[in-house]
Amino acid sequence: MKLKYLVLILTGLAFGACNKLDVAPLNIIKDQDIFTSETGVNAYLASIYGSMPIEDFIYRPERGFMNGDGERWQNFMQPGNLTGEMVGRYNVGDAAQGFGFWPYDKIRTINYMIVNFPKYAGAFTQDKFNQLLGEAYFCRAYFYFALVKRYGGVPIVKTLQSYPEQSITDLSVPRNKEQEVYDFIGSDLDSAIALMGDANIRARANKYVAAGYKSRAMLYAGTIAKYGATNYVDGEARQKGLAGIPADQATRYFQAAYDAAKLVEGHYSLYRKNDNKEQNYVDLFLDQSSPESMYVKDYSMSTGTAHSWDATMTCRYMTADGDAACYPTLDLVEKFTGPLPITNPDGTPKRFDDRAALKQGLEPRLLASIYFPGATLRGKEFDIQRGIYKKFNGTAAEELANNNTSVWDQPDNLIVSGDINQLYNGRRVMGLAGMFATAGNDSRTRTGFYVRKYINYKADQASCGLYQSVQSWIDMRYAEVLLNRAEAAMELGTADKTADALNVINQLRDRAGAAPAGANITIDTVRNERMKELAFEHHSWWDLRRWRIADKVLDNTRFYGIYPYWIENENKYILLKQEEMGHRSFFFEKKWYYEPLPGGELGKNPNLYPNNPGY
Amino acid sequence: MKRLINGLLVAAMCCMATSCSKKDNYAGPDATFSGNLINSVTGKNLLTETGGFQVQLEELSWSSTPAPYNIPAKPDGSFRDTRIFSGHYRVVPRNGAFWPVDTVELDIAGNTTKDFTVTPYLEIKNFSWKLNGTTLQMTFNLFAPKAAGLPKVLDVQPFVNNTPFVGSGATIYDVYTGPNILGINANYSDDMAKTTYTVTVPNLLSGRTFYARVGVRVDDSNKKFNYSEIVRVDVP
Repeated sequence: MKLKYLVLILTGLAFGACNKLDVAPLNIIKDQDIFTSETGVNAYLASIYGSMPIEDFIYRPERGFMNGDGERWQNFMQPGNLTGEMVGRYNVGDAAQGFGFWPYDKIRTINYMIVNFPKYAGAFTQDKFNQLLGEAYFCRAYFYFALVKRYGGVPIVKTLQSYPEQSITDLSVPRNKEQEVYDFIGSDLDSAIALMGDANIRARANKYVAAGYKSRAMLYAGTIAKYGATNYVDGEARQKGLAGIPADQATRYFQAAYDAAKLVEGHYSLYRKNDNKEQNYVDLFLDQSSPESMYVKDYSMSTGTAHSWDATMTCRYMTADGDAACYPTLDLVEKFTGPLPITNPDGTPKRFDDRAALKQGLEPRLLASIYFPGATLRGKEFDIQRGIYKKFNGTAAEELANNNTSVWDQPDNLIVSGDINQLYNGRRVMGLAGMFATAGNDSRTRTGFYVRKYINYKADQASCGLYQSVQSWIDMRYAEVLLNRAEAAMELGTADKTADALNVINQLRDRAGAAPAGANITIDTVRNERMKELAFEHHSWWDLRRWRIADKVLDNTRFYGIYPYWIENENKYILLKQEEMGHRSFFFEKKWYYEPLPGGELGKNPNLYPNNPGY
Repeated sequence: MKRLINGLLVAAMCCMATSCSKKDNYAGPDATFSGNLINSVTGKNLLTETGGFQVQLEELSWSSTPAPYNIPAKPDGSFRDTRIFSGHYRVVPRNGAFWPVDTVELDIAGNTTKDFTVTPYLEIKNFSWKLNGTTLQMTFNLFAPKAAGLPKVLDVQPFVNNTPFVGSGATIYDVYTGPNILGINANYSDDMAKTTYTVTVPNLLSGRTFYARVGVRVDDSNKKFNYSEIVRVDVP
């Protein structure tokens, strides 16, 4: 058999080989290949930046950052749906307990650079070396902040663990206190601020970007210390300081947040390129050269990273594919306007010839953030109509519950339809852009509004399909730094700080085209401004949590929309405030102020116990 | 060659078919754990609803940090689970409208029962109701068995349902509960103890039978309700 010879030859070869194997393998890239050239370090950092836990268009609270996930197109499954800023397919309970985020593999990648890169410092100028090392510190702080805001205290790992050299017992690192983690983030960002320069490189950090994030992190710590002291779930983790920060630390954190925000002043500025304030605010989110954008995430079709914001925030009437399934609430709109002028003093609904009349005189920032009935996009009108009343002589209050109980809301008087083509006496029953909502037919508004922020109005309809949107996500913009500064200032509460908060709020209001605030501003003024300015930017969920008011704001709460109806015998529109079409009830359990530690990690590392209170 | 491969395949199949015959030698979850939560004031079962509290079990037989397992409350204030692994457990009732209770360690095997005595945050006393036409009026006093350190009293809510299962998780919320909530938002005081509260639910549908009760909650970790008993209301 030939096999025998083959075996013989192989054996001969095996004995004869192994002469000189002590040669550096040519197929493995070693530290000195990477850490001695700027290109190498840039490539290393790119892999870190690429994995940053940025809560962008695609992020989904109970699924995470969705890399490679086939449902990445569902950009409407976003955290604004949890807080009543929008309503859609989510219930809070679906998403409040997170997705088991535990990125210690990525943290190790960063630690590896922080430990090993300094050995090759000689290959760079001092400035260049500092800048690159500073970015690593910035990235590590970013990861730990993403952890601490979810879980409270987590293990701080800043050395390189190695297995099997270290025993499993050594590797089972216990949780640090929540306060220690925030202090660690603060000190990493301080290192980043000290090391980095001020050059603005797109999608990378510099000194002031780090300062911006420090203002965010320290503000979170301050509010958790202050408000978590009175509203909490008791348990072992709280008593050990793993979930919760002592109240006497609050002032220190607020001061740190204020100082960090102040550091950014003069290096970034509010976007004011267009004198038309509404258009200016729209363009702020689309202009790649905005001086307000501090840290962004970019997308492109060629790398397969494009998102679907355009396809999933407005209805198919304006787009090429996808569904919309989350809609701004009237409750959010009324944060800008107070009660909308849709009701007469006697309680009857105002009659309108044109639905778009409602928009007149409203704050430009509101109109730039939300599409109202009668607004236009890509040459098409947001034709929003719930149905046709044959006649209506009642009051607006009777229709509030929207549940077929009033005398006017009966099938023989109120014509509604789920089919846009259905006519009643020659007039369309439902508007081309809604309203209607049932399972499987959920792309037309449930509230009478659509999101306008970040919508690329310049894209033509055919290119508004899934994975075709490439507008950048602005993860940190100067407006947020100003709001962080104002909030920290109000919490510090001295006269000069309050004056500074007023000044900052009025910078934002001026840019927004809103009336300036008066000298009697309170912390609620600042919080309300934050909700308005940062709407749909994934802040509201974390804000309600850190202010510890989520269980009050979301307590069997229903949210409202505005429903345009045509009144047939008067040939006029009325606009009624009614409960949103999903009739969802929003509820927040106090234990959700912290997410549970991932079960798999608890199984691997018993030193992570105790779990957060209530779990 | 082909015969060899076939032979090997047959041998492998025999191997697979006969291996793994060893039976699972662990006992199944065949123990039953049940009990009641006794109200320390009345001596009767705590008035609650389905899921109104949980009994948390941690099996200490294998690990000092086990994943907790929860048995939800039954509406009569009892709990029962017939699929528990025999073993040594740390047990505590929690997430209910009562003052925290100490954990107990016990062995569960066969049919184990354990009653816990709990002190509710608030008692609904002197509960009475009447029906005027289609309007239900429920009248009562609030009494705190232990006033010191009681979290703020949030509100009193009426619960109305068309089955005897009625509570915060089973009520006709939009029409009967939501609009008729009586907000309190104050710390418990002597004045509060003296006040007679009335909760009114108007416009009950004629000709129907409803089951109703009121619940009061405090701003603790769980915001669960202390309930009155359930009354049957036949609307004429």
